[in-house]
Amino acid sequence: MRKSKGQSATLNTFGPGAQAAFHAVLGLFALLCIVPFVFVIIISFTSEDSIRQIGYSFTPLSWSTQAYTYVFQLGGALWRSYFNSFLITFVGTSLSVIICILYSYPLYRRDFRYRGFFNFLSFFTMIFGGGLVPTFVVCKTLLGLSDNYAALIVPMLFSPFNVIVMRTFFQTTVPRELIEASTIDGAGEYRTLIQVVLPVVKPGIATIALLNALAFWNEWFLSLLYLTKNMDVMPLQYLLMRMQRNADFLAKNAGMLGADAAKAARNLPSQSLKMALVVFIVVPIACAYPFFQRYVVAGLTIGSVKG
Amino acid sequence: MKKLFALILAVAMILTVANFALAEDLPVITIMFHGSNVTDDTAVLEAVNAYIADKVGAKLEVVWGTWGDFDEKATNALTSGDSSIDMVFTCSWSSDEYNTYAKKGYFVKLDDLIAEYGADLVAAIPESLMQAATIEGAEGMGIYAVNGFKDTATQNTWDVNVTLLEELGYTLDDFKAMSFYDFGDLFAKAKEVKGDSFYPFLVEPMVLERMVTGSIIVAGDSGATNLLSLYLNQEDVSAEGPYGNVLLNKFATEEYRKFVEQMHIYYEAGYIDPSLAVAETSNDTRTNAQKSGEYLIGTQSYALGYEHQASEERGIHVEFVPCTAPYVDTTASQGAMMAISTASEHPVESFKFLALLNSDPYLMTLMNYGVEGIHYTLNADGLVEFTDERANYSPWTNGMGNVTILPDTAAEGAGFREAFKAYYAEAKAIPSLGFVFNNEEVTNEMAALGTVAAQYALALDAGALDPETALPEFLAALDDAGMQTYLDAANAQLAAYMAAK
Amino acid sequence: MMYPAKAPSRRRWNKKNFWLLTMAAPGAIWLLLIRYLPMLGVVISFKDYRAQKPNTFWNNLIKSEWVGLKNFEFLKSPSTATMIRNTLLYNAVWIVLVLVIAVLFAVMMSELKNRFMAKAYQTMMFFPYFLSWVVASYFVLAFLDPTSGMIPSIQKSLGLKPTQFYMTKEPWPIILTISNLWKNVGYSSVLYLAAITGIDTTLYEAAAVDGATKPQQVWHVTLPGIRPMIIILLIMSVGKIFNADFGLFYNVPQNSGPLYPVTQVIDTYVYNTYANTHNMGMSSAAGLLQSAVGCLCIIMTNAIVRRLDAESSLF
Repeated sequence: MRKSKGQSATLNTFGPGAQAAFHAVLGLFALLCIVPFVFVIIISFTSEDSIRQIGYSFTPLSWSTQAYTYVFQLGGALWRSYFNSFLITFVGTSLSVIICILYSYPLYRRDFRYRGFFNFLSFFTMIFGGGLVPTFVVCKTLLGLSDNYAALIVPMLFSPFNVIVMRTFFQTTVPRELIEASTIDGAGEYRTLIQVVLPVVKPGIATIALLNALAFWNEWFLSLLYLTKNMDVMPLQYLLMRMQRNADFLAKNAGMLGADAAKAARNLPSQSLKMALVVFIVVPIACAYPFFQRYVVAGLTIGSVKG
Repeated sequence: MKKLFALILAVAMILTVANFALAEDLPVITIMFHGSNVTDDTAVLEAVNAYIADKVGAKLEVVWGTWGDFDEKATNALTSGDSSIDMVFTCSWSSDEYNTYAKKGYFVKLDDLIAEYGADLVAAIPESLMQAATIEGAEGMGIYAVNGFKDTATQNTWDVNVTLLEELGYTLDDFKAMSFYDFGDLFAKAKEVKGDSFYPFLVEPMVLERMVTGSIIVAGDSGATNLLSLYLNQEDVSAEGPYGNVLLNKFATEEYRKFVEQMHIYYEAGYIDPSLAVAETSNDTRTNAQKSGEYLIGTQSYALGYEHQASEERGIHVEFVPCTAPYVDTTASQGAMMAISTASEHPVESFKFLALLNSDPYLMTLMNYGVEGIHYTLNADGLVEFTDERANYSPWTNGMGNVTILPDTAAEGAGFREAFKAYYAEAKAIPSLGFVFNNEEVTNEMAALGTVAAQYALALDAGALDPETALPEFLAALDDAGMQTYLDAANAQLAAYMAAK
Repeated sequence: MMYPAKAPSRRRWNKKNFWLLTMAAPGAIWLLLIRYLPMLGVVISFKDYRAQKPNTFWNNLIKSEWVGLKNFEFLKSPSTATMIRNTLLYNAVWIVLVLVIAVLFAVMMSELKNRFMAKAYQTMMFFPYFLSWVVASYFVLAFLDPTSGMIPSIQKSLGLKPTQFYMTKEPWPIILTISNLWKNVGYSSVLYLAAITGIDTTLYEAAAVDGATKPQQVWHVTLPGIRPMIIILLIMSVGKIFNADFGLFYNVPQNSGPLYPVTQVIDTYVYNTYANTHNMGMSSAAGLLQSAVGCLCIIMTNAIVRRLDAESSLF
C-alpha cells in the first residue's frame, strides 16, 4: 500500500508553482494561528511594571520570570490539579471513545433494525436540552455526581456530534462488503467490529479521540457546578478560570463592594501569572496533538482497504 | 462452624459500633460563603465543631464560595432545591438577590425562629438592621435573613493622591474647596508636569455619576446599569432631596446632562484613560493605576480606616474626601446577609448557628480569623497579628456577619472596632430607607432597558461619547424600550411605601 | 424509521439485532438519564418557577403556576430585531466561509509533497482551538487598546487621531469574522483532512490512468469523497444558526456597550438580561426558542439534502 501511494504521489501531484502557493497560504495562516500563543508566552514573561505602563505588548519594557515563580509557589495545589487534569482527560477520553464507537457503529449498519430510533435519540439532544438546573438536579441528586471525579467525567461521556462524525467515518471508509464477508465467515458482531472494522477507521478514531481529549482537557464549567466541598479533584483549567472569574466579578461589583473590592483585587493574581497558567494548560495538549495526528496521517499512507 | 460463629460475632460487633456511632452523629449543617480564599479549613472546623456540638446540636460543614463561583453555585443550589445547602449568603447586589429570592420562596422566614432562639442575636444587632431585613417575602412581611453588622452606610469619596497634589503646588484644602466642575486647571497642570501619557482622573464612571449628581442606587432597580435616580439632600441626607421622594429617569435630568457634558470635556482633553469607558477593561486599568499611584484624583466608595491601608499599598499619601455624609439606604443595609434555604432539613439548627455566629465573639473570631496559635497570635497589646497560615484561611470578613464583635488587629490599631461602630451608628438614614422596588411586573421592560442603558450609559458617564448627539439618541431608545412604564411602576410603589411609612 | 428485515432467517436477525443493541445500550442509557430526563425541565419556559412546599426541584416544577407565553415576552424588546439579525447574519456568512476555507486548506494540506511541513501546518492551525476566547480577547486588545494598542500607537506616530476601537462599531463585523475564522478553520480542516485520508487511494490511481489532471482529481475524487462530511457538518452548523459563540461576542469586544448594534447576539442578550433580572423562566424560554428554530432549520436542510443525496442525509 505504502508503495502505491508513494507512486501516485510522485507521479501525480500539483506542480512546483502550485506547491509553493500552497505553502505560502497555509504557512501564513499557520503563522497567524501560532502568534497569539507566542504572545501569551511573552506576556507570561513580562514584568508587572511593563504591563502597568504599556499594557500587553509584543515588546515589553522589561522581562521577568516572577509569574513562573508564583506558579511554582502554588505548589501542591498546582501539581494536584495538573494530575487531575491528566487523569480526567485520560479516563474520560478512553471511556467516551469506546461509548462513541459502540453507539455509532450500529447506526452505520443499515441492517440494524432500530437504527432510525437510536439515530434520532442521539441527534435530538443536539438541539433540545433540559437546561442547566434540571440537568444539575438529575446529576447531583439522582446520580450522586458531586465532589468526585465522576462528576467531572460522566456528564461529558457522550457527544452526539462525535457520534455523527464517527458514523460518517464508518460510512466513508468501511465498505459494506467487508462486514458481509466477516459475518459470512461466522464472526460475531463484536469480533467483526474489533478485528475488521476498527483497523480501517483509525483516522476517525484518532479524530474523535482528539475532540474528546480537548473537550475534557478544557472543561471547567462542570467543576464550577459540581465541586463544592472537595476541591482536591479540581482540574487545572478550573484553577485558571476561577482566577479569571474572581477578577471579573470584582470588576463588575467594585461599585457595590467599595473598599472590600479594592482589598480583594490586591490579592488577585497578576496577568502574567494567568498567562503562565495558560502556558501550562496548552503545552501538554499541544504535545499530545502529534500523537493523534500520527494516526490521521498513518491513515493517509496505509490507504483504505479495498472491497 | 467456629469460623462462622466468629464471623457472625464480628458482624454483630460492627453493627453495634456502627449503630452507636449513628446515635452519636449530629445532623450536618452546611453554610455557603461568598468571596472566600480558603484552601485548608480542617483546624478551624475541628475547633468550631467542638464548640458548637452542644450549643447548636449540629456539625458544621462549609462551602467556601469564591467571588467568581458563588453566584452560580448559590443560585443553582437554591433554584434546584438542593437540601445539602442549609445556609447561604445573600445581599442586595449579587445573583441570589435577597428581595427577589425571598419573594420566590427560597428563604425561610425567620421571625418565629428569632422569637424562640434569637434573644442573643437581637441584642447583638442594631434594630435598624433588623428593619432593613424586614421585607415582603413569600410568607408575607418578615425577616428572611440574618443581617450582617458591617459598614452599613454608603459614603462616596474623592480618592486624592496628596503626594502628587502637593507636587503640583496645591494643598488638600485647595482641593476640598473645588467642585467637580472646576477640576480643569488642576488636571491641565498635572498633564503638563507628568507628561502626555498620564491620566489624572481615575474614575469608576457610574460611581462618579452618583457622586456628582447626588443620586443613590435604588434597591430593586436594574442591576448592571441603574436606570433610576433618587436625589439626596446633600446637605442633610436624612431630609428630602431637591425632587422630594420621587424617582427619576436617571438619564433625563438636567443634573445628568450637565455631568456628562463636563465629562466629555475632560475626556476630550485627555484627562481620562479611554480604557475606563469599556466595562471589561476598566477595572484592570483602575487597579493598575492605583497600585502604582499613577493618578491624581479617583473615586472610592469608602470604608472607615481605608486611607491608611491605601497609602501603604500604593506608596503615596492617599486621602479620601467625602462628597456627602455617610447615609444609610436600603442597598447598603442589605449588603451582606445570611439566609436559610427552604430546602434545608435542619432550619432550627441552622438558625441557632447563625444566631451564635453573630453574637458570640469566640465563634466569630474562630470562623473569621482562624485558630489562635495557628492562623493568628495575640501580641502584647492583645491585638491580632496574622501568621503565614492566614494565607490558607482568609474568608471574606464582611460577608460573614457581625464583624463588630471581632477583636482589633494590629494593622487596624486598638479601639478600631469601637470607632467603627460609632462611625456607622452616627450615619443617618435617608427618608426612603427600606424601600425596595419590586420589578416583577416590569421584568420585560427592565430587560430591554438594561440593554439600552448598557449600550450608552458607561461610555457617556466616562465622557467617551458626545452628549450632543448620543444623549438624545439614548433617551429616545429608552422611551422606545418602555422607560415610562418602568418609571411609573417604580414611583407608584415608592408613593405607596412612603404613605405606609 | 425502521429498516425492513431482509435477512434469511428470523433467528439470525434477532441475534444480530440483539448484539448491536448491546453496543448502543451504554450510550442510550446515558442519553436517557442525562439528556432526556432533564428535558422535563422545559416546562419552566411556560411557568412562573418558584419554590413550593416542600422545596424540591420536581415539586417546584409541578406546582409552579402556568403563565403561558409570558416568559417569551422578552422578544418584544426593541433590540430583538438587532440581535436576531446579528445572530443569523454572522452565522450564515461564517458557515459558508469556514466551510470553503477549511475544505480548501484540507485539500491543500493533503496535496503537499512535503509531509513534514503539512504536519507542521496542521499542528499550528489547531492551536487557536486551545486558547479560550478570554485569552484571545487579550490578543485582540493588544492591537486595539486605545492607549497602548498597536494600531492606535501606529496612528499616533503617523500623526493621525487614534481610532477608539471599542467605541466605534464599523470595524467590528470584520474583526469578529477574522477572529472566528482564526479559531475555527483549523479545527474544521482537520476533520476534512481526516475524511480525505479515508478516501480509497486506488480511486486516484484510476483517475490518473484515465488521464485526469490533479485539479480534476480533486474535483472528481476528493470532493465527492468528503461530501458526506461536508454535508453533515453543514447540517449541524445550520442547526446552530440561532446560537452564537458566546465568548466571541462577549469577551472579544470586551462587552463594550456602544458596539452592541453589531455585537449583540441572542446568547449575550440572554446572558446580560439574566444578570439583570435573574428570571429563570425567561432564559429557559430563550433556550427553547433557539432549539425550536434550530430544529426547524435542520429538518429543512436535511429534507433538501435527502432529496439530493439520501445516503449523506442525517436521518
